[in-house]
Amino acid sequence: MTAIGAPRARAARPPRRGLVGTLASTDHKALGAGIFTTAFAFFLAAGVLALLMRFELARPHLQLMTLHGYNELFTLHGSTMFYLFATPIALASGVYLVPLQIGAGRLKWARLALASWWMIIGGGLVMWLGFLTVQGAADVGWYSYVPLSDAPNSPSVGTDYWIVGVILAAAAAIALAACVLATIVTERAPGMTMLRLPVFSWTMVITCLMVLTAFPALIVAMGLLLAQRQFGGVYTGAAGAFDYQHLFWFFGHPVVYVVFFPFLGAVAEAIATFSGRRWFGYRPFVLSLLLFAALSMSVWGHHMFTTSAVENKYFSLTSTALLVPAGIEYFDSFATMWRGRIRLMTPMLFALGFLVLFVIGGTTGIFIGSPPLDYHVTDSYFIVAHFHYTLFGGSVMGLFTAIYLWWPKVTGTLLSERLGRWHFWLTMVGMNLTFFPMFFLGWEGMPRRVADYPPGTSWSTLNLLSSIGAALIAVSLLVFLWNVRRSLRRRVPAGPDPWGGQTLEWATDSPPPRENFLGPLPPVRSFAPLQDLREQREQEVQPA
Amino acid sequence: MAAGRPAHGRPAVSPPQRAGYFAGVADTRHQYDVLAGLYLPIAAGVVLLVVLLVVAFAWRYRARPASAGAAGADRRPSRIHRAPKTEALYVLVLACVAAFLLWHTFTIEGRVDHAASGRGVHVVATAAKWHWSFDYPRAGIVQQGTDERPPTLVVPAGRTVDVTLRALDVIHAFWIPERRFKRDATPGFVSSFSLVFPRPGFWRDGGECSEYCGLRHTWMKFHVRVLAPAAFARWLRARQSGAAA
Repeated sequence: MTAIGAPRARAARPPRRGLVGTLASTDHKALGAGIFTTAFAFFLAAGVLALLMRFELARPHLQLMTLHGYNELFTLHGSTMFYLFATPIALASGVYLVPLQIGAGRLKWARLALASWWMIIGGGLVMWLGFLTVQGAADVGWYSYVPLSDAPNSPSVGTDYWIVGVILAAAAAIALAACVLATIVTERAPGMTMLRLPVFSWTMVITCLMVLTAFPALIVAMGLLLAQRQFGGVYTGAAGAFDYQHLFWFFGHPVVYVVFFPFLGAVAEAIATFSGRRWFGYRPFVLSLLLFAALSMSVWGHHMFTTSAVENKYFSLTSTALLVPAGIEYFDSFATMWRGRIRLMTPMLFALGFLVLFVIGGTTGIFIGSPPLDYHVTDSYFIVAHFHYTLFGGSVMGLFTAIYLWWPKVTGTLLSERLGRWHFWLTMVGMNLTFFPMFFLGWEGMPRRVADYPPGTSWSTLNLLSSIGAALIAVSLLVFLWNVRRSLRRRVPAGPDPWGGQTLEWATDSPPPRENFLGPLPPVRSFAPLQDLREQREQEVQPA
Repeated sequence: MAAGRPAHGRPAVSPPQRAGYFAGVADTRHQYDVLAGLYLPIAAGVVLLVVLLVVAFAWRYRARPASAGAAGADRRPSRIHRAPKTEALYVLVLACVAAFLLWHTFTIEGRVDHAASGRGVHVVATAAKWHWSFDYPRAGIVQQGTDERPPTLVVPAGRTVDVTLRALDVIHAFWIPERRFKRDATPGFVSSFSLVFPRPGFWRDGGECSEYCGLRHTWMKFHVRVLAPAAFARWLRARQSGAAA
């Protein structure tokens, strides 16, 4: 009879802001959470498109949709995932967490960040409104190569909507990156030098630098594409087609790292926290991040190996060299766990899942960084498998690491560990079942972006397995959403620091007050100030 | 394309004896298998190592409750957080692996990218929404298909086939998975390459468009028929005299 005892403790509900209060707040926490939630909604929407595609591909022939419908689906799936989900959610994580991690009270240029949120919502709505037009949404692929995307070949107004949506989302990304970077440069607490930035904040520095250098190329490519469609004469002939590809991939490759680095940072924080050790090899790690970013800005031509229009050997060299910084991240991860005190809570499970899945994406990435191997598998399902191991196995697993790690901080409540474990294992099984068969499909010759395939071959079985896996991923997401709902209703209080965190955000209340820190900050003597205090206390209790 | 494939198992890994050096070099599938045979075991080894380390570390260094007795009692986590010399050595190993892979990649790429020899059978492959056609300029014949029936690329076994590839409207890509080779067809740009088909056979839908090219991209395919040299010569004569393919 629990009614007699003391009432179970419940975390206080945050004050309600109302619609206007939410949509107009310049508090970086409200903003970060708002952009994050918007982006996550786009993730679910694009996931529904993926499910529809997997249902269509479960069996040969066309069952659910027309060819045109399928072409719209993969275009909007890829576009939504990159422009409206992954990039915004990566930057939103920075908007929320970076000021807290560096001991700042606010985000620099918060109104610009607010405008970015509106632009993301607007861009997303414009892009998806294409479905309501007579000729349907854009069906030119998320990369919309010319001349396929020019007016004679794709006259639909949905394609114009799509371009406007992409430009809005890209402009928002640039603005958000500027805000986060400016915050890091100007708002750091006393003692927080650049080489005492927490690991996650360092990954955000790199992310913002890459957004600021790569995304302008996307806006130029899209602006010129709009002009091409209205007036013609911009991308003419083969040279125009190649120019477009260079412009697009100069953005299109770095964006993969933009949506990867922040979650690598989250994984690093989780591994350090749940091993009870600080992140191993901080300085070489920061250097390797810079090398990683520099290299990833110089590999775009590997998307064009089969065009005969780029210097394949150069881009093969830079692409293969990526294994060096990636290898350092793995070294530091394992060295952090080495002789640690590992607690396998949900954030740590997702972090370990990230290590296992991303290495499959990484090694196959080195494989296709070799032009003779890429000639066969490019634009096949092998590539689909490869980049879903990096983007789902890497970024999305890292995203869930971040969500489970910082949920208590953001909401003040705990998520269920039991549901978290269900979520993790369902994701692991579903993810591998969905994407591993695609390696074989691509190797055996199934091209990308096809709605149909010949019956009576091994492709039917492999595709069916993949579709079952996609359904499992959907179930895992439902478990996650249930966990979220349960946590917000039960409000089990998290306290300021439920995990034994190492960085400044764990030194304030959960959720943090409007000003972030009410009392004096702990002294910042390294990139893990709370770990310093903990080790100092241990030293005092048990003198060596 | 796997349907009706006569030799579903291992490919002819070694180049045909009589075809000579150049044909062996242009056997793209052979080159691919050599290189993939180098990359894949290394990749699999790395993946296996990471999985093993994750499992081993998660088990070996797991937090134990203090009540588990002296042996299981929790130790304090190590405080070592840098090992610059080990890490530098490790980076050196990584760089050597990268250099090793690149060396072989560059060697093989030089062979695969060999420009058309001009000594083989010349075929002009043309891609246009959403059909392929194959001209044999020296013989003066053209292979075309319809919406329902894709065209067939007919080539002689063991001889070099010099392909000139072009596109008329949007970007397509010429892919013969069995040959492990693909090239983009960009309108306004002509690319040339050489292929060798070591063994006779017929591959239904053995050629595909692999660059998304609009509405009917899904169904833009061609068949591949490889004939013994004598049969190929007969086929050419028959086509020239107006008989059906």
